[in-house]
Amino acid sequence: MSQESSVTSEILNEKNKQEVRCRFCNSLMLKEQEGTYESKQFDLPLTHQKNTKDINTIETESLSDFWVINDMFTFENIGFSNTVDKRKFLICADCDMGPVGYHDIDTKKCYVALKRVHHGKEPAKTLTNNS
Amino acid sequence: MAKKTYDLLFKLLLIGDSGVGKTCILFRFSDDAFTSTFISTIGIDFKIKTVELRGKKIKLQIWDTAGQERFHTITTSYYRGAMGIMLVYDITNEKSFENIVKWLRNIDEHANEDVEKMILGNKCDMTDKRVVSKERGEAIAREHGIRFKETSAKSNINIESAFCELAEAILDKTAGRESAENPERVVIDRRNNEKAPAYKSCCS
Repeated sequence: MSQESSVTSEILNEKNKQEVRCRFCNSLMLKEQEGTYESKQFDLPLTHQKNTKDINTIETESLSDFWVINDMFTFENIGFSNTVDKRKFLICADCDMGPVGYHDIDTKKCYVALKRVHHGKEPAKTLTNNS
Repeated sequence: MAKKTYDLLFKLLLIGDSGVGKTCILFRFSDDAFTSTFISTIGIDFKIKTVELRGKKIKLQIWDTAGQERFHTITTSYYRGAMGIMLVYDITNEKSFENIVKWLRNIDEHANEDVEKMILGNKCDMTDKRVVSKERGEAIAREHGIRFKETSAKSNINIESAFCELAEAILDKTAGRESAENPERVVIDRRNNEKAPAYKSCCS
């Protein structure tokens, strides 16, 4: 299945068809139909920075598919990082893995990257640790 | 679409000396198989967790002091809106236990009068290094009329039940207020029913 079709299959009525969970510990982040799909480009920092000594150079990945959540309390379980450039990064509330997305301080909106989370009730089959 | 997906929102704080493991209670970092190098560099601000108590969906927003406690001057702004406070000491650190009294005074000065408090003796897995007995913890809690639990963030002992118990205590108060406004509602006082296993459905 191509990347595009797998994204399409997760959308129902412009919202997330299935539950959104942590890819690592399966913690429930968002229930079905709570996030609105938005296609936008954003450079999200990698979970694992290869160069940890230089904190000024943040390695990122360009992502384009997001669930938008207007009210942070819509999340079932989620963590917020400290603020960096008017943004807080979103992490798993149970195992702290992330960022899975970001929170915009000005608009108060949260963006969860489809690629950084697991969709469905069943745990992710393989735990990959290379994003 | 402005529907609320929850019934109540409780703001909770973690307070206590540096090094008592507050951060570990809220954030797990290092102990897990996976860690995010990016997140551990910038640090965590707060978490939102959802629990279900007595059929009510409750959002807990939990904050850590982020190092402010080092100056022993947690400011009024930090306490603003707080409905529950976890006062944490380290059972292997006498000073952190003695300072609980100072923190209680600080809370009295700055926090809302009816804030619900709970004392946690953390690191209870480190039995060989224990210097504060469980009895002393219980005694100070009794003296101030607040709840007490020994916990281990590392071994995940009593952490979830502590948060649920604090949330339930706040819920009791909220329910009390609601009943005053709405006399037709029957409120069952559960305080005397010594904590039935009410946490099964909670924090799952």
